[in-house]
Amino acid sequence: MTDKALVLAASAIGAGLAMIAGIGAGIGQGFAAGKGAEAVGKQPEAQGVIVRTMLLGAAVAETTGIYGLVIALILLFANPLIKLLG
Amino acid sequence: MDDISNIVTFLLNWLEQFSPKALILAATALSAGFAMIAGIGPGIGQGYAAGKGAEAVGDNEQNSNNITLVMLLGAAVAETSGIFSLVVALILLYANPLINLEGIGIVIAASALGAGLAMIAGIGPGIGQGYAAGKGAERVGQRPKYQGLIVRTMLLGQAVGQTTGIYALVVALILLFANPLLRLM
Repeated sequence: MTDKALVLAASAIGAGLAMIAGIGAGIGQGFAAGKGAEAVGKQPEAQGVIVRTMLLGAAVAETTGIYGLVIALILLFANPLIKLLG
Repeated sequence: MDDISNIVTFLLNWLEQFSPKALILAATALSAGFAMIAGIGPGIGQGYAAGKGAEAVGDNEQNSNNITLVMLLGAAVAETSGIFSLVVALILLYANPLINLEGIGIVIAASALGAGLAMIAGIGPGIGQGYAAGKGAERVGQRPKYQGLIVRTMLLGQAVGQTTGIYALVVALILLFANPLLRLM
């Protein structure tokens, strides 16, 4: 088994591992959704502001999930490690 | 450091004795198992929704139909991550796209493993969307008049929460069906 094969194999596993970061955004944004629904139930006339705040916070929570996706896509489609092998 | 590299070398040499096909199939089996770990998420989330639903019905018995409807609707959304993982696992077991690929066995095997690991991300949306379902059911019990607004907000938030689960599914499907690493070989 060549060195290149080993690096590519590890890249595949790494791409999968990176996506596990999505757990966090999933839990957090779901919590925000629940709290948003709760708040709208209490004050339906404030729905616009509530939803805006919820989406703003959820967008911030999304960031680390995006980072994970970016790393996975780099490993798959623009692998920098292969070039380092020389 | 020497010990670690010795173990890795030993493991890789040990793996060399197997045919590429056996490596791919073994990795597939592990991967299917890893993917199913995502079931933790919907389990926790839907359980929370069920508890909240029961509590809400206890407090507002006359609204029990609305409460149950919202609870089941939210729980159905939370279920999706578990379904994605099940589909990936079943694809790996019964419609394995990697077996007949041309390429280096260990890269294909690792791709299979990566796909399963990625699906573990489903834990997150499962828990989060379940929490949203529980909160939605609770509120609808207290204010059934605003069921439409509450459900809309809940679904909007749940849709946002689904995104990282979708990303993981996309990466898994790329590894399985449009593997870019084999071309690099």
